[in-house]
Amino acid sequence: MAPIILTEKLSKTFARGKADAVEAVRAIDLEVDAGEIFGLLGPNGAGKSTTMRMLCTLLLPSAGRATVTGFDLATEAHEIRRRIGYVGQKGGLEQVATGRENLMLHAQLYRMSRSEARRRIDLLAERLRLGAFIDRKAETYSGGQRRVLDLASGVINAPELLFLDEPTTGLDPQSRARVWEEVKTVHEQGTTIFLTTHYLEEADALCDRVAIVDLGRVVALGTPAELKKQIAGDIVTLGYDDERQAGAAAALLDGNPLVLERHRAGTMLQIHVDRGDEALPALLRVVGQGNYPAKSVHLSRPSLDDVFLKLTGRSLRETDPMAC
Amino acid sequence: MRDTYLIAMNELRVTMRNPFWSVSGLFQPIIYLLLFGPLLNGVAGARGFPDGNAIQFFAPGLLVMNALFGAGFEGFTLRDKLDSGFLERLRVTPISRLALALGFILQSSVNLVIQSIALIACSFFFGLQLHILGAAALIPLVVLIGISMASVSYRLALVIREGGILAGIINTFVLPAMILSGIMLPVTFGPRIIQIAARFDPFFYAVNASRALINGAFADGSVVAAFAIFAALAVVTLAIFIRGMREAVA
Repeated sequence: MAPIILTEKLSKTFARGKADAVEAVRAIDLEVDAGEIFGLLGPNGAGKSTTMRMLCTLLLPSAGRATVTGFDLATEAHEIRRRIGYVGQKGGLEQVATGRENLMLHAQLYRMSRSEARRRIDLLAERLRLGAFIDRKAETYSGGQRRVLDLASGVINAPELLFLDEPTTGLDPQSRARVWEEVKTVHEQGTTIFLTTHYLEEADALCDRVAIVDLGRVVALGTPAELKKQIAGDIVTLGYDDERQAGAAAALLDGNPLVLERHRAGTMLQIHVDRGDEALPALLRVVGQGNYPAKSVHLSRPSLDDVFLKLTGRSLRETDPMAC
Repeated sequence: MRDTYLIAMNELRVTMRNPFWSVSGLFQPIIYLLLFGPLLNGVAGARGFPDGNAIQFFAPGLLVMNALFGAGFEGFTLRDKLDSGFLERLRVTPISRLALALGFILQSSVNLVIQSIALIACSFFFGLQLHILGAAALIPLVVLIGISMASVSYRLALVIREGGILAGIINTFVLPAMILSGIMLPVTFGPRIIQIAARFDPFFYAVNASRALINGAFADGSVVAAFAIFAALAVVTLAIFIRGMREAVA
């Protein structure tokens, strides 16, 4: 079966003035199969949203080509629009209209008759559990309710492929879990899902495959498990008061046989080891004797953040303004 | 066509939902009618002031002013739609950019017609004597003005993200256009240079046509001129707006 999204050297350069052009997306090749939940994971400004906006027909690519749902992005945008759904970061609900009215407008824009639209809305209300708030004005919704209604509006036309741009950014953990559940519901109905996120847990919890993007390029691609396997063993994280101390401690560990790899991210020192439980006491002894005892210690299994750090030398969390 | 209607109906419903918005739209002209209209009575007898009382002079111009300002600031509605992601959401549906653009224009036109009728009714209570057919003929002129202003305003809103800058640019054009049109006071009161400048203000013709029509003077030269000017402006500006909507990547 042909992939539902296929891109070849897809690129976008924004001309900001004459002199400095911003290369937001640099020759990305992607292949997404029908039925997947595919995630683009990366920090803000990595080019995730730009990539998605090109695939949704909202932005014209500067170079490269792509097919979406089997149609050419450059020449058959109209066909693509009939087959996809899109939920942007801002959602796009009419605030003073009720959820039902919002859905009705979009259903009718997809050429549904009023009675067809009514049936579709009732079905979605039941499936996505919109009953409690669908007849209230959107301006009264909580963040989570708003996102679920956005989601319903994105699938009003029963799309083959649904795009979700940062579906849970800014939500509290409870609302996030709710949105994840409804995304899974949509997926179970046979919709392929393409999402962007800068939350590792989200990529981990939802995605069948993840492409890690940084500075407009795909730096790694695979299932979350495959990506994490790139990092052997366990990770010991030592925390320090300042970067100088963390750097000095890192130097103390140079050539230590226990250390497979190490990275410093700000005041944190990450050390990859084979067996964390055995290595931890030895490592603490080394930095302690060198007069740089760690202020905090953390032992963990590798996460996607560690993969990102290993690939780019930067932490995802560092670049996430929400974490500050 | 159906899409245009759907967008316009949705927008109108939204406008109606927010009573403050529809009232505030009419607020300004009604304040003028209440507070500025009576001031004109004092100069109604002055040399160069047209025959008839002040309301007969001022009310028709007020309709043009309402179109000039009301539609001129429509861009802010579109700016809101861009900021809320609503427009983006519409742009991924199969709706054509043409239908989308026309939907917004239709919405603003319907709004303007309702406001104009309300203004005429108000002026009537302030003593405006109106020629019914003339007043009816005035509505399409107001709509043409509205389409021209709204198209320019929408087009600007597509490229200017900052609300304050948008307001500044619109005011820069709208204020001189209003003063030179002779809505407030006859330009014949001013020096020759003002009178000449007024000849280059399309609204000068619109205001004169508006006054002629309210009195039923269909044959007045300004009527033909105003319709011709604003029909042409409406076509050109609308084409520019539609083009912008097709290219917009905001």
